[in-house]
Order: sequence, then structure tokens, then C-alpha cells
Amino acid sequence: MPVIVMASPKGGVGKSTCTVLLASEFARMGADVTVLDCDPNKSLTRWASHGAPSGVTLKSDVGRSEIVPTIRSADGDGKIVIVDLEGVASQLVSRAISQADLVIVPMQPTALDAEIGSEALALVREEEEALGRSIRHAVVLTKTSAAVKSRVQKELEQQLSGAGIDVIEPSLVARAAFSELFAYGNDLTAMMNDPEMMTGGKVDKAILNAQAFTEAVYERLK
Amino acid sequence: MNGSNRLAGLKARPKDTTVEEVRRVDEVGEARGFLDRTPRKKPGRKPSPRTHQLHPKVFPKVGEAIAAEAERLGITQGQLIEQMWEKWEDQ
Repeated sequence: MPVIVMASPKGGVGKSTCTVLLASEFARMGADVTVLDCDPNKSLTRWASHGAPSGVTLKSDVGRSEIVPTIRSADGDGKIVIVDLEGVASQLVSRAISQADLVIVPMQPTALDAEIGSEALALVREEEEALGRSIRHAVVLTKTSAAVKSRVQKELEQQLSGAGIDVIEPSLVARAAFSELFAYGNDLTAMMNDPEMMTGGKVDKAILNAQAFTEAVYERLK
Repeated sequence: MNGSNRLAGLKARPKDTTVEEVRRVDEVGEARGFLDRTPRKKPGRKPSPRTHQLHPKVFPKVGEAIAAEAERLGITQGQLIEQMWEKWEDQ
């Protein structure tokens, strides 16, 4: 079963959010999902400490020397492995990419995110050359506006498409529910069904966004 | 999108994980600035483990008794000897 790697040398672009959403949705579909938290900030470990959804197993503190054997041991029939990487340019990142069936590069629609995120895309292509096999990769725009598509976002999408880079649709909209998940734990459905959970955002819209995003990722893994 | 039967269609590509391949991946990464950033261990000698040895020339029974009393009081043997010395001087 596939290994999905979230990669970008820039921090705060939404790698952990993408990981949590995909892990929750794939687990809801019946997959046995293993999530590897390779980020020293331990965002996923904090999320899981509040309770992880059924079907999601977390492995923390995975470093450079452990990443390849850990992915290999977690991989298997009916299992999906999702790797949340640190937001720096490290050998841990390059090694994880070499084990991926799909590399997702989250990017906010800003020039800085695009410039730093392109380093990850370039690394994927160079690894493809060095290893002599293709590594599927795609960009997902994150923290986009729910109301309007900004001029910068339109231009960035055009540039990425023009460069032959696969852009996942839909983008992940800036939703309060996405960021609140890390304080709440579990998944968006549990959050919506909890009468005591107070959120400033629209959880139903967040769920639809997460489902559509997961569906788009699923199509790339077939 | 419910149903685990859909997941059966997902496939993983075979990947080699030989030492040679990992080395090549490291080289490609390093050329692009993706370096080994594993935190280095703290330099210097690690603290020696406590041996409870007082002095080589103290009789073993005396040394053991002092060690046991220091442990009972929750202080080091050195602190216990300091206390003993204070009492000796007060006499």
C-alpha cells in the first residue's frame, strides 16, 4: 500500500494539517493508517495525545537513520503510511522522498512559499534521475481564501501548471476547524458531533473540503 | 467515499532500499542543501556512575555503614562526613 510523504523545507505551510486530514479520512474509509511524526515540533504527537481516530497509529521521533526502516516496517497490505516531515532541508527529507509513492508539497499562495517549496519539487526530480524511477509528486495550495481566489493564487496556479507540476484540486481553505483539530484531537466528524466543542469555524464545510482533498489524493494513488 | 474495497485498488511501487541507493539519495540531497541535521550529542565525558566508594583505605565494613547511613539520610557520603567533622570539632 502507498507511502505518502509531506515535504517542504518551509515550516508552517500545512504539512501536519494535510497529514491529519488524510490520515483521518483514509482511516474512515477502512485503511490501517500509520503516521510518522518526523517533525521536532511534534505537531502530530500533540494532536494524537488528545486522542487519535480509530485506525490511525502514530510513530514519533523518527529520525534520519530510522526513516527508511520505519517506513518499510510500517508498509504492508491494507496499510497506508503518511510521513509528516520537518520544515527544513535535511537528509531526513531526501531519504523519506526516496520511499514515497506520492510526495505532496503543501504551499500557501505566496511567493515565498512557492520559492522555498520549489526546492522540494526540484529534489524529487533529482532523486527520480538518480534512482531511475518516477516518484509521483503534487502541490496542494493551503490556507486559501474560501470566498475569492486571490490574484497571487491564480498566478501561482498558472505558473505551476505551466511548469508541468500537478496541482491538487481542491486547495485546503483556511478553516478554523483545521487548526483547532490539534487542540481537540481525533477528527473533524468527532469535532462536529461533540456538543461541547465550540469552534469559530464551519466544521461541515471543513469536512467537505477534507473529503474532496482526500478524494483527489486517492485518485493519484490508484 | 466509504468502503475499504476502494482501498484495495491502491498500490505501492517496489522500492530498493540498498545502502548504495540511500547513499545516492544522500548525495543528491546534499548537492541541493538537504544536509544531515541530526542534533549532535552533548560533547564531553559523561558523569561517572556512583560507586559508593569512600576511600580505598577505609575498612569495607565502615565504608558500607557510612554509605548506608548517607543513603538513609538522603545525603551524599561527603555531606555526612562534613556533618561528622562539625560534631568532632564541637567536642
